[in-house]
Amino acid sequence: MIHEDVAEIVLGLAMEKASPVLAEVRVESSSRRELAVKSGQVSSLTSSKDAGMNVRIVLPTGIGFAAANRVSTSEGADLVRRALKLAKSGKRKDRVEMSSEPAVKTSWEVRQRKPLADLSTEDRLKFLADIDSSVMKSGVKVQGRYYELSDYETTSYFANSEGSRIKSFLPRVVLNASLLVSSKGETEQSLREYGASGGWEKAEEWNLEKALTDEVKMLKKMIDHGKALKPGKYDLVCGPEVAGIAAHESCGHPMEGDRILGREMSQAGKSFVQPDMLGQRIGSEYATVIDDPTVSGSYGYYAYDAEGVRARPRYLYKNGILNEFLHNRETASRLGLHSNGSSRSERYVREPIVRMANTFVAPGDFEEDEIFGSVKEGVLMKSFTEWNIDDKRYNQKYVSREAYFIKDGELAGPARKCVLEITTPGFWGAIDATSKKVEYDSAECGKGDPIQAAPVFTGGPMLRLRGVNLK
Amino acid sequence: MSALKETAAKLLEVARDSGADDAIVEVMDSTTSQIRYSSGRIDASNWWNEKHAVVFVAVGNRTLSSDIKDMDHAKELTGELVLMAKASPPNKGYGGIAEGRFKYSRSRLDRSIVALRDPSRPVHEAINAAQSHGAIDVGGTLFVRHEKVALASTGGPSAEDENASVDLSVRAFSQKEASGHAVSCTPRLAALKAKETGARAGELANMAKDPIPGDEGKFDLVLEPLFLGGITHSLAHMMSALRVEIGLSVFAKKIGKQVASKEVTFVDDPMISSTSRRAFDHEGMPTRRNTIIKDGVLKTYVHNTSTAKRFKTKSTANAGPLVPTLFAMATQPMPFHPVIEPGDWHTDEIVEETKRGLYLNNTWYTRYQNYATGDFSTIPRDAILMIENGEIVGPAKNIRVSDNVLNMLKSVDAVSKQSQEVYWWDEAAPPSTLPVIRVKGMTITRSS
Repeated sequence: MIHEDVAEIVLGLAMEKASPVLAEVRVESSSRRELAVKSGQVSSLTSSKDAGMNVRIVLPTGIGFAAANRVSTSEGADLVRRALKLAKSGKRKDRVEMSSEPAVKTSWEVRQRKPLADLSTEDRLKFLADIDSSVMKSGVKVQGRYYELSDYETTSYFANSEGSRIKSFLPRVVLNASLLVSSKGETEQSLREYGASGGWEKAEEWNLEKALTDEVKMLKKMIDHGKALKPGKYDLVCGPEVAGIAAHESCGHPMEGDRILGREMSQAGKSFVQPDMLGQRIGSEYATVIDDPTVSGSYGYYAYDAEGVRARPRYLYKNGILNEFLHNRETASRLGLHSNGSSRSERYVREPIVRMANTFVAPGDFEEDEIFGSVKEGVLMKSFTEWNIDDKRYNQKYVSREAYFIKDGELAGPARKCVLEITTPGFWGAIDATSKKVEYDSAECGKGDPIQAAPVFTGGPMLRLRGVNLK
Repeated sequence: MSALKETAAKLLEVARDSGADDAIVEVMDSTTSQIRYSSGRIDASNWWNEKHAVVFVAVGNRTLSSDIKDMDHAKELTGELVLMAKASPPNKGYGGIAEGRFKYSRSRLDRSIVALRDPSRPVHEAINAAQSHGAIDVGGTLFVRHEKVALASTGGPSAEDENASVDLSVRAFSQKEASGHAVSCTPRLAALKAKETGARAGELANMAKDPIPGDEGKFDLVLEPLFLGGITHSLAHMMSALRVEIGLSVFAKKIGKQVASKEVTFVDDPMISSTSRRAFDHEGMPTRRNTIIKDGVLKTYVHNTSTAKRFKTKSTANAGPLVPTLFAMATQPMPFHPVIEPGDWHTDEIVEETKRGLYLNNTWYTRYQNYATGDFSTIPRDAILMIENGEIVGPAKNIRVSDNVLNMLKSVDAVSKQSQEVYWWDEAAPPSTLPVIRVKGMTITRSS
């Protein structure tokens, strides 16, 4: 149950006490269940409920945010007092402003065909036990098997001083699997995540008994038959998983407005992108990357952001051109723009900041066989394991988890631990073909301080990169 | 009896009366004030408080835990939890909870931290100091933390503690691609070194001016505590017995074996004065100093009661939170305050006796191909300074350390006398006390 009346009274108090640039109140409640299974046995089981509220007050002198895990008018009054004091303490000489956005009165929810709350612990355990049993029957020696299944529903009521009133209900389910395969005295590891917004039907769609059994068989194949690559220049075909991580790391992150303006400089870092670089070329005409919170059923789904701005697709790179940054109301205002609905918060005790949602490379018009067809000597990097990127988002590394040599347009056996270490324009500039079908993966994106995990999709079609150095 | 301790005792009584065979109740009241700043100005001032109870119950080997945030209904929710546990599937690996009545070594709370009303002063001091040392852009965070905790357990432990700390992070830029990072973390307000931290970040940023692309190849690395804190983050996780069990540790099957050079002694010491000092673990066992790696030899993993039973050993009093936390599994034993024991080198001597190396200020994005083998890479950030024949000859950029973490530990050949507590974001975490070390012949790679 959400106390809308409390939110209204508390917002009234905030507006009484000052003439803020903006005042916001969020009341939130959630239920969460987590089951961990280790080597076929229950490892831990938790069931928690949370409820609380926050008040954010923006004054010309600063931004103040106060939150507590209690919902009452007296608690709210205390939060107003604190947020106001904090906003004053900023003592900013440059006036803090927020972009002008329309007031919205609405409610939105993600519907569940099979409500998560109706699922029993036995159902959850059977789900994981069946996956584990299938993995065990794969004929592959899997030394480490650990699965965590979490599902939660978050109900929220948002009110601001400009008249926005938004009620929302968002259920999510996520599974993490850690699998260590051994063969011939060697090991390979896979850490997989599957997430969605919606009900239990989403988890059933993942078909994990097959997916994770295929995964361990693949890892064994890489150990038993994978050959090392001779370092050199190759054509590289990236599978959707690799396209997705590149879209997230070397497009989504460097296009975050707060990073570009320096607000994350001490933690997640800055960006090689400067405010005046919109319109500049970063990649080939095939490099179109979209961040879209409205992808139905996606793990990063939302209809309105944490500041009450309607979500919409953002074309970050468009045909190789730096096209649009991700903005909240604060960063948009600093660049004289409107927010594009990119403000998110992990939960009510964390300040809202600029985040991605579902970031993916746009599809093209190539069939998959056409992508391989013209590759004389190359590599298909289907998925990745180790990856990282520097804090200006310019130098990235992806090491293959599953890869194959390509000879004369045909797959020619497994390649093991291929390494792509490349600059951002080097990656996006080398693409000369994208396939028709986009596939998504789930992830938790970390940003903010304290770090906030944001559920996201990453994705894309197959990409073909010409003449890149592989190790 | 404090109000918190009384609440813990009452909830424990509810759990017991409802039929729990084992129960642990941990009631926490934590308050955090934070200032986030960048470009020399305060971006946001944040404050949050959470009063909640983490309750663990076991009926036989049917276990269940909950983070109860609704304290007005904590008794009803605790009773419901026991009912749910009775209907839960068995946890066959459950080995019980800590038993006994213990004495605890409480920390000395610095009341001046709790009483701090305007923490913006050290922020401005740090910014000014960084700017006076050449910085043109300065950003970071200041945290003021205060936590009260009380624990009650059917195993016997009854404990309470109160801690407060401040931690300041300063990142300074002297150019677009030249930066330095420094931190100051302390449980004593008087020991917060705002000016010195800002000055150090500014100084490093100044030294990092006009960097050139770094070379690939083998280099000796001189690692500052902040960099080492990023590596310690993953090492600490891999020392957890639960991580060992599920294949997420390079230390599996290596007890009694050489996992590092003789220069390396790695301990977990939650007893020393630090920002992560704690009197008891999450089962209520008194914390203690545990030597995990002694002169390079792995002595133990860190354990709670259940993992200890499965490994046929005793708990090391490292029981972790009983509900999952961000990036940590439920019931995962964890080191609370990693320490690498100091050596006998002056930091200057380490640089002076390095022929071809790199002095590295900080790192991030440490990622593993496979935790069981330890193959990994990490990306140095902030000052990357080239060392030739014992002298720093200039800054570099755009490099990556791509190697193996066991190889890294085994290649440590110098450890400084001086140590520093570091804690930064989720990278150099948990808070740890670390020296400067030198690692011989590590592989450096870069984009091509």
